[in-house]
Amino acid sequence: MANIKKALRDFWYGKPHTAEEGGRRLGELYEDKTGLLKHREWRGVKDTMYYMYMIWGYNYLHMVTDIIKYSNNPLDFIKGTWRYRWMGQTYLPVIHWFERGLQGMRGEALAASAWHYRAMVSASLHQMCNFFNADTRLHGGKENNAYKHTIYANETTCGTLFYPWMDAGYQYIPIEMIPYFVTCHVNSHTVLNYIDAVQSLGLPGDPCPMCQAESGLFVLDDVPDSAPIIVTCNEACDASVSTHTLQDWFANKPLFALPLPMQFDDPLVKKYCMNEIEELWKFIEEQTGVPFNWESMKKRLELQNQLQRDEWEKWEVDAKTPYYPINGVAQALFRIYSTQYGIQGDFWHEASEKVKKIMYKCVEKKINTFPKTRHRVIAWSCAPLYFSNWCTWAYNCWGLNVVINMDSLMFDMEIRTDSYENMLEDMATYHMWAPMRRMAVGGMHHIFELWEYMERFNCDMVAMYDQLQCKGMQGVHGLFEDEFRKRNIKAFWMPHALPDCRTVSRAEIRRQINDYMTTVMHEEPLDPSLLDFDDSMTW
Amino acid sequence: MKCKFCKFLLKFCGIFVALNVGLFLIFFYDLDGKLLFNVVEPFLKNHYDNMERKDVLKSPYEMDKFPKYKYDM
Repeated sequence: MANIKKALRDFWYGKPHTAEEGGRRLGELYEDKTGLLKHREWRGVKDTMYYMYMIWGYNYLHMVTDIIKYSNNPLDFIKGTWRYRWMGQTYLPVIHWFERGLQGMRGEALAASAWHYRAMVSASLHQMCNFFNADTRLHGGKENNAYKHTIYANETTCGTLFYPWMDAGYQYIPIEMIPYFVTCHVNSHTVLNYIDAVQSLGLPGDPCPMCQAESGLFVLDDVPDSAPIIVTCNEACDASVSTHTLQDWFANKPLFALPLPMQFDDPLVKKYCMNEIEELWKFIEEQTGVPFNWESMKKRLELQNQLQRDEWEKWEVDAKTPYYPINGVAQALFRIYSTQYGIQGDFWHEASEKVKKIMYKCVEKKINTFPKTRHRVIAWSCAPLYFSNWCTWAYNCWGLNVVINMDSLMFDMEIRTDSYENMLEDMATYHMWAPMRRMAVGGMHHIFELWEYMERFNCDMVAMYDQLQCKGMQGVHGLFEDEFRKRNIKAFWMPHALPDCRTVSRAEIRRQINDYMTTVMHEEPLDPSLLDFDDSMTW
Repeated sequence: MKCKFCKFLLKFCGIFVALNVGLFLIFFYDLDGKLLFNVVEPFLKNHYDNMERKDVLKSPYEMDKFPKYKYDM
């Protein structure tokens, strides 16, 4: 009788989380090596049906409707898929990417986190369609209207800089955001081709693999020809200066190199950066023949500020209560993606509104969204792109709830729109706080902002990313060790190689965390089936 | 007339249920993932691996193609 009762309860509500409660043993759902699922988790009637119709089915359907919405001719999308490796291989496993990030989630956490994913998919399709609408390679070499109204820029050059031309029908495409950044998250196999392509030329393999992959896209001739001009930058570090040189060579277009200053606290450096931004705007005016439009800028900056204020509202709940419904990976990716791509559609605001609604329901009804939380974790430095869903795994396996991370906090500011001068000053700050720069290689004061954020978000543990090929962050490894000891902070290191899953595998990352949790914390896993499994071939 | 309508309704319900059961089986057993991983991706990989590509190293680095951009600071 008790067995029947339990079976009925498991059917209706899904199996409980922990081993002691006769748990769900999520690790046993995986096929060996491929990471494919023998079958999806039964999350109880309500959540399984929600997942099937509102996440799996809804997103498959909207992946098609988005193409129709954003594409001038859906046939171009098919041609683009056939032409570009990063396109074909990325688009396919998108739903599996959802699965990895949302595994084990239930109720409001499942729903809200999925809306962040949905916005990212929509933004990705927006970019892909923009690429293919304008690509001369897919249009018999013709430079069409879309081509003439596109500006290419390096992915760490914030989209905010190009708002003044959007009312005139111009769009900005971050060259590497889809071909490099998004592919690593969705399908980690793709990027390896580009890394190997650069090394096959005899270039060294030890610089940051991000710079290698971004150059590799050009070496393999896998960048669409979708814009007449290009804006490059040195990204967060000077390894990318070489990327920029290769891009200048292979793209062979009028190019503006916009620097990201290394030390950005100096007021003179800020002045220099403001001048550089104005020079960029002058370059665009000269190349397009269209003047800077303040109203176009202001309108979009206000929308961007609204998104930032939404985030602050959510962070308040995140910092002070257990009712915040977004998991670690959904939060980090949404933030870094939306702040870099900027306001080019309504997908960010739509998702943010839906998430706020879910969040306030949780607050009102006091729904503890991550009830098995043992530690509130802050993740610091740059995350492994091929295992960004480690936070989901860490919560399911150990109860480590990543409540905030560096990627979310990088652009923690509004840009003033009351005057051109104030806007320019804030824009310079925003630009200098580039991904991986502000709190990673941006100087001692900023990397140690960690302690303030730990306190603000009520965290008791640090997940410290250790990008093995980032010379900047390798240089401060020891300083962090000293500070952790001095401040008696619980922290574990996560070695990785940003996009390259061959250098440090996902299994190795999990092993490092397992070792810390057993030998230092003396804790037992919530779900022991997740401790060790082979997903070496997974997307 | 009534019987015809009942037949239509039954048929409609039957198709609706069969469609949902079919979708559920694809969803629950990750059949979409398995098809993409085992069939579609290897096929596409093979295509991309064998594509003819331009040897970009043979293109000259035309540094003087565009006028020098002068800073006005």
